[in-house]
Amino acid sequence: MISPIVLYSMIALGAVGVLLSLPRAKANFALPGFLIGSIAGGVVLLALGTKAVSEGGANGLPNLYFYIFGFVALAASLRVITHPKPVYSALYFILTILATCGLFLILSAEFMAFALVIIYAGAILITYLFVIMLATQAPTEEMTENQAPFDRVAREPVLATISGFLLLAVLTTLMSRGVPTLTVGPVVKSDQILTELPLRIERALRNQHMLAGEGGILPTESLARAVNQDGSPGAYLVDPIDRTAVVRVDAEGGSTRVVAWPEDLTLGNVEGVGYELIKAQPGTIEIAGVILLMAMLGAVVLARKQMQIDDDAKRVQAEGLKPTGEGASS
Amino acid sequence: MMTTLAQSGFPEAMTSLTLFHYLFISAVMFTLGLIGFVTRRNLIVMFLCTEMMFQASGIALVAFSRFYLEYTGQVFVIFVLTVAAAEAAMALALVVLLFRRHETLDGSVWSLLKG
Repeated sequence: MISPIVLYSMIALGAVGVLLSLPRAKANFALPGFLIGSIAGGVVLLALGTKAVSEGGANGLPNLYFYIFGFVALAASLRVITHPKPVYSALYFILTILATCGLFLILSAEFMAFALVIIYAGAILITYLFVIMLATQAPTEEMTENQAPFDRVAREPVLATISGFLLLAVLTTLMSRGVPTLTVGPVVKSDQILTELPLRIERALRNQHMLAGEGGILPTESLARAVNQDGSPGAYLVDPIDRTAVVRVDAEGGSTRVVAWPEDLTLGNVEGVGYELIKAQPGTIEIAGVILLMAMLGAVVLARKQMQIDDDAKRVQAEGLKPTGEGASS
Repeated sequence: MMTTLAQSGFPEAMTSLTLFHYLFISAVMFTLGLIGFVTRRNLIVMFLCTEMMFQASGIALVAFSRFYLEYTGQVFVIFVLTVAAAEAAMALALVVLLFRRHETLDGSVWSLLKG
């Protein structure tokens, strides 16, 4: 693990950098603050990287793109909290999200990366931009360059930075002390999850026959199932260790043969996430739906225009709706 | 060091030091979001900073999901996204409501609400 002196001194240096780059009334130290902060973060990552190389060789290092995306993400998020104009803050936040998506791609979480682009950058941030433009004040005399005074000066920058970086020091304690309990347990391999999705295997085998012309299973065949004691069909006969499946030939009165899975058949990220979502968290999806519905209702109720109708207007409206005797007869 | 961005097939296990790289990025981003929430006085930017903290927790969750080769962390990020979307809708409706009252986005105008 990396030395605590390096870690905590670099956290203090980063705090100085963030403190400098926060917006203030007179002087502007955004660039030196950004440089100091990126030096501090870079030194910590360098210490982590050298430690990883000395322990596990080059395999311990993260992907090369990790450094690029990590730098972009942190630089953009620093700019989010320091830029005096809210619109630019929102745009820099979109940059943060895109860099985070890059990190997710490196972590082989493709579904989450694309969902993040669609939901965050596509929906939530556009709503933010709309509200920022909707709720912009008309420029007055005291504002310079159309910036509100409360955007130009940070509130309690010293206290906020100290408390924030104290939290960071606590969060990063595990990097200097190490976590002995942090070990990977027995991993459920993708092949074992695939045996619970036998139709996925059957589709892959059919595709293999159609595309390659050999191997796989014919249209007249299907995956064989075991037979329970009461005669009902049981589990599919697929073997995750040998990567084979038993195929029953329908035409020849139920004779069976063993075929190997296609070489490239692995559980994709989308399939894995979807299977886990449906298998383990079916109730939580319902709750998420209720949360979204409540949020929609609440937003509609809160943001609608509150009309004040006085009594005279109500009476006039009521008289207009009253059915008149002449109107009904004619 | 791997230099390919897209990795096909089931990923290999990674070491805990590689995990710490991602956790460091996540922790720094969370801290920046926290500092932004406290220091900024614009209501919209304050809520933007909470979204940034959601992002940071998402990075940590996905990194742990990759470390343990489990999908539970990624599934949880979906629910974090749900909460973030609901929070954005409610918060922005509130901001529009408050802006109609006082014609300003300054959060300290509403300090009377502290009770």
